[in-house]
Amino acid sequence: MSGENATFFSGASKYVLDEELAKIVNISMALEMPLLLKGEPGTGKTMLAHAIAESLSMPLLVLNVKSSLKLVEALYQYDTLTRLNDSRFGDSTRDVSNIEEYIRMGKIGQAFVSEIKTVLLIDEIDKADTDFQDDMLDVLDQMEFDIIEIDKTMKARTRPVIIITSNAKKDLSDPFLGRCNFHHIAFPDQDMMRRILNVHFPSVDQELLEICVRTFYKIREFQGIEKRPATRELINWVRALRADPDFRPKDLIQGKIPFLGILFKKSTDYHQATLQSKRLRI
Amino acid sequence: MFVDFFYILRDSGIPVSPTSFLRLHKALAEGLVSNLDDFYIAARTLLVKSERFFDLYDRVFAHYFRGAELPDFKGMELEAAARELLNEWLQNPEALANALGMSKKELQSLSPEELLKYFMDRLKEQTEAHHGGSKWIGTGGFSPVGHSGYHPGGMRVGGISRNKSAVKVAMDRRYKDYSVEAPLTQAQMGEALKRLRRMVPEGPRDNVNVDETIRATTRNAGEIEIVFDRSLRDRLKIILMVDNGGWSMDPYIQLVQTLFNYARAQFKDIKFFYFHNTIYDYVWEDPPRRFKPQRVEEFSTWDKDTRLIIVGDASMAPYELMATDGSIHIEERSGLPSIDRLHMLADIFSHSAWLNPTPRRIWPMTRTIGVIASIFPMFELTLDGLEQAVTSLMSKN
Repeated sequence: MSGENATFFSGASKYVLDEELAKIVNISMALEMPLLLKGEPGTGKTMLAHAIAESLSMPLLVLNVKSSLKLVEALYQYDTLTRLNDSRFGDSTRDVSNIEEYIRMGKIGQAFVSEIKTVLLIDEIDKADTDFQDDMLDVLDQMEFDIIEIDKTMKARTRPVIIITSNAKKDLSDPFLGRCNFHHIAFPDQDMMRRILNVHFPSVDQELLEICVRTFYKIREFQGIEKRPATRELINWVRALRADPDFRPKDLIQGKIPFLGILFKKSTDYHQATLQSKRLRI
Repeated sequence: MFVDFFYILRDSGIPVSPTSFLRLHKALAEGLVSNLDDFYIAARTLLVKSERFFDLYDRVFAHYFRGAELPDFKGMELEAAARELLNEWLQNPEALANALGMSKKELQSLSPEELLKYFMDRLKEQTEAHHGGSKWIGTGGFSPVGHSGYHPGGMRVGGISRNKSAVKVAMDRRYKDYSVEAPLTQAQMGEALKRLRRMVPEGPRDNVNVDETIRATTRNAGEIEIVFDRSLRDRLKIILMVDNGGWSMDPYIQLVQTLFNYARAQFKDIKFFYFHNTIYDYVWEDPPRRFKPQRVEEFSTWDKDTRLIIVGDASMAPYELMATDGSIHIEERSGLPSIDRLHMLADIFSHSAWLNPTPRRIWPMTRTIGVIASIFPMFELTLDGLEQAVTSLMSKN
């Protein structure tokens, strides 16, 4: 039954999915509940939503939460300036007296009006304040919101698959947690990391891969680092190493680590890492 | 189905709600769960909402389905269990009896580790509550472990800190939550803290000033001219860390409480943390310093512009600050001395201040105050001191 399979998530081309997470995604989709993902940066929280959208061929809508974001902006915007402009110059095809033509849907609004089921990624929810979080879940719970300007209630045509990520800097409120499913993605272990690299570099030399992964996990243990390198940095680093004709895997064994700047992006971190890498032996 | 599983989870301290339990049943009824592995994952994602409880969940699950030994619900190790035991025994401080153990000199020669071992050994030997006597743990007496005992380098288990310096605290008094409303006595303190609210226009010019727009438009004879203002934005974030542990802070709690009540209203983004004497691996979000630990390293990922304000008397035994295992909390031993942690915090947050409730004139009498004042700018917890602290926190660099 291919139609049946289309609603089950089992991984995507560039995303290595562990079985546990796949089950959690499928349970959340079946129960139609938002899935809250926590975990340190670089564990693939955001990528998961992309992967779900890709494998189920649904459009992906990304709401990047900022601390200044108001809920109504995520739902819709009434573009008063354009209307004022139109009324002044009258050179547009829009009907100035019809306010509805100046209502623009925000990301949540777009997910609601979409004809087909969408994946709605609400990225870094912890940046917003608690009121925003609670109000947003109210909207997502009821699957409708009011547009005050035209006194119209927007009902969702389809219930989107909702993925919410949090970097866990703040604790989310209890009512919020009560309405979500929860999963914490741990930083991938070395085996998982090898699989991830193999997906990204299908033809990579296994010896190189092995030494890179081992070096990477040593490097992550450097002291006093503000932003530790994550999966994304490792992938870019391996890409750089492969592109460098002068690079020999043996250099890594002796603690000569090229392109540290790819792994450490803050100047103090880079400095620290340079000092500590001199003492590193794999 | 699985109702007792639900209750074991609840009893073990995981905040599971009935709603989520019903949801789990919905999942079961819809056939989403076909085997035990599925159940494990489904129940966790539906019931457990924080990774902090994952481990506990695992243990309860193993107990329920595999018959593994039931976890010790309060998550207590031996030391902590000892603390609970002591708590019971020391409830009756009136039963102060003379107790004789080793001589004072012998006691002085014991290191903290030896003391701790002695303490644990006594606990293992002892089988009933006991006050006074030669070597058992009870209240009073010269035994190096116990309450209100006189021992210069002794372990303190409750009671008033006589010399503002204790070697080990095996039983903390947990202060009640400070955030409760208390009568305000020092109104000016809130006024001074208000200066921290840097209400300066720093946002983008994206607020339409309607009055000015109308004025400008009429002046232009109807040609629309829109005037934008900068949106006002209070960008200041505050971290407040309060020493609420030692008895040495006791006289200042009222003062700090006043500060709290004001601070809560003054800032939108303000985080409170608690510590005892000085900062080691963790600070805590809850005043009893038990349930919500926050690793000090993780502050490095916080906004650098956050203002760090520490309130504490900075008075302690020098080794608590300098020694690699100086923590008076036996469960908190990372190998890094507290002074390194303080330096780290001062490095992370370029704007920081230490408010000290003890009067400035007696600072030179305590060595650790001098040491900490060399790391953080230190100010008196008075109106004047606050004024200076605010100026220092607001300076450009």
